[in-house]
Amino acid sequence: MTTATPTSSSFRAAPGEGDYAGPAVRYENVSFAFPPREGGPGGLVLENVTLDVRPGERLGILGPNGGGKSTLLKLTLVLLTGFTGRISVMGLTPGQARRQRVIGYVPQRIEAELRFPLSARQVVQMSACAGLPPWRSPGPRQRAAMEDALKVVGASAFADKPIGELSGGQVQRIMIARALACRPRILLLDEPTVGIDVSGQKQFADLLARLHDELGLTIIVVSHDIRTVAAGCDRVACLSRTLHYHVAPEGLTPGVLAEVFRHDVAAIFGELHVDAHKASACKDPSHRH
Amino acid sequence: MHLRTLEYLTSPELAPLYWPGVVTGLVIAVLCASLSVVVVLKRMAFIGQGISHAAFGGVGVAAVLGLAAAGGAGAGLGQSLVVLAFCLAAGLGIGWLSEKGQTQSDTAIGIVLVASMALGAVLLQYAHLRGRAGSVAWESLLFGSIMNVAWPDSIAAIVVALAIIAGLWLARRPMLFWAFDEPAAPAFGVPTRAMRFILLLMLAVATVTAMKLAGVVLATAMLVLPGATALQLSHRFGRVMIWSQVIAIGGVLAGLILSFEFDQPTGACIVLVLSLIFGAAWVRRAWLSRAGRAGPAGAGGASGGAAAEAPGA
Repeated sequence: MTTATPTSSSFRAAPGEGDYAGPAVRYENVSFAFPPREGGPGGLVLENVTLDVRPGERLGILGPNGGGKSTLLKLTLVLLTGFTGRISVMGLTPGQARRQRVIGYVPQRIEAELRFPLSARQVVQMSACAGLPPWRSPGPRQRAAMEDALKVVGASAFADKPIGELSGGQVQRIMIARALACRPRILLLDEPTVGIDVSGQKQFADLLARLHDELGLTIIVVSHDIRTVAAGCDRVACLSRTLHYHVAPEGLTPGVLAEVFRHDVAAIFGELHVDAHKASACKDPSHRH
Repeated sequence: MHLRTLEYLTSPELAPLYWPGVVTGLVIAVLCASLSVVVVLKRMAFIGQGISHAAFGGVGVAAVLGLAAAGGAGAGLGQSLVVLAFCLAAGLGIGWLSEKGQTQSDTAIGIVLVASMALGAVLLQYAHLRGRAGSVAWESLLFGSIMNVAWPDSIAAIVVALAIIAGLWLARRPMLFWAFDEPAAPAFGVPTRAMRFILLLMLAVATVTAMKLAGVVLATAMLVLPGATALQLSHRFGRVMIWSQVIAIGGVLAGLILSFEFDQPTGACIVLVLSLIFGAAWVRRAWLSRAGRAGPAGAGGASGGAAAEAPGA
């Protein structure tokens, strides 16, 4: 895999970032419930979630399916509305952050129509040109954003292939490049390693590290797969409707995981042990539970 | 050898009757081909079917209201507006029912489709009994007729086509993003609801425009076949759009000639030709795949290279 570092100027600072010293994303007592629907219950998905995402960190949000991880992410992106509490992104409301393109989003890839007759480059260009007036053609700025995004994820070599002919790992890189092409300061990834084999997951962890180191991005990864968050994140928040723990990845003990996933996972992950702590016992003022 | 086509288009007596149909047919080809690729890729073909059949109900209402003779040449603006309103209501109704998730989209379309047909049949019969339906030509209503088309219809079709193509050009970037990845598009600032509404509106207007020539039943085919065939031929969006135009224009011309030469219904001939072209493209793709060459790319997509500009660019 060959990659090149994009020019530092191609990824702009977020609006007002120079003056802003708070958390990259702040969740304060966020609760959300889906309305009851015919054929299935609605119910509370998130309950009083309070969490700060520090600027420049790689945060993994780990939890079981249905634990509210993707919902939290979608609330941040205004893909869902109607929560209580408060969410701020670089000091902005989620709507303002979306308009100012502060966040880059990588969805679960299965949701895109990969049979479209588009090349990988065209998919990335869609993001680079989003917001451009219809009468204007892409200029040097948009082209640079597109090419830099392709380079940094190591996708230049297959950028002209049809998107439907790429492997799962290659599609994932293109989706990350699409998110980067709008020059965000925060990158959100939803279940990024679903369907990717172990070596692909290792490459993914390396890619996250490179994005973090070279672009200085704040990265939030949502996953139900402990290997994804353990390998690629500085800190892990365990979410299953409520926020259970925030720990370093090494702190994901079998006991912690058993509480979050509601079954014994020691046999799967072996004996891990460090300084996991419960929210109720936390005395660190920098930690927001 | 006597060619009726030449006679119809050059004879001083017949040419004024046939030229409006030819011009309108070509305009409808360009219009439908422009929408067709997105309709097929967004799997909205069946929605188009529901919208076009809603037109039948609209014709029934127009007949009861005494707004021009249904299906007759020069049918009035009032009828067209009633039919357009019906088509639009059907499209929005289908979209709303599907979006609410309480009714699956194919079920919603099926209900709207049969209800509109039934309503149209009852109302047309009622209007006929009351002497308001004029010369209702059911066959031409369902399958279209070139004799339905007059110069005012051609002018209306040109205006509609220009408006829709301009709208597509203006909305090309967000619409492509929406069509490609609807769940993620809002996170990139794409107004997905607006995109769906705009496309449904365009579909309704295009259906009403295509109806006189192709009929209620066959109007949808004009919105589906050019795009479906083009997608068999290339992997590149720009080329797919060009193929769609070429196939639609070629299909309409060939269908018109067959219709003239063999005295067959115009809409049916056009759709049969388009279906044959689709079949040939499908067989070609299957043959290329079996021969070990990449499917659509074999038709010219794979060599597009870095120079290919994004369709939204």
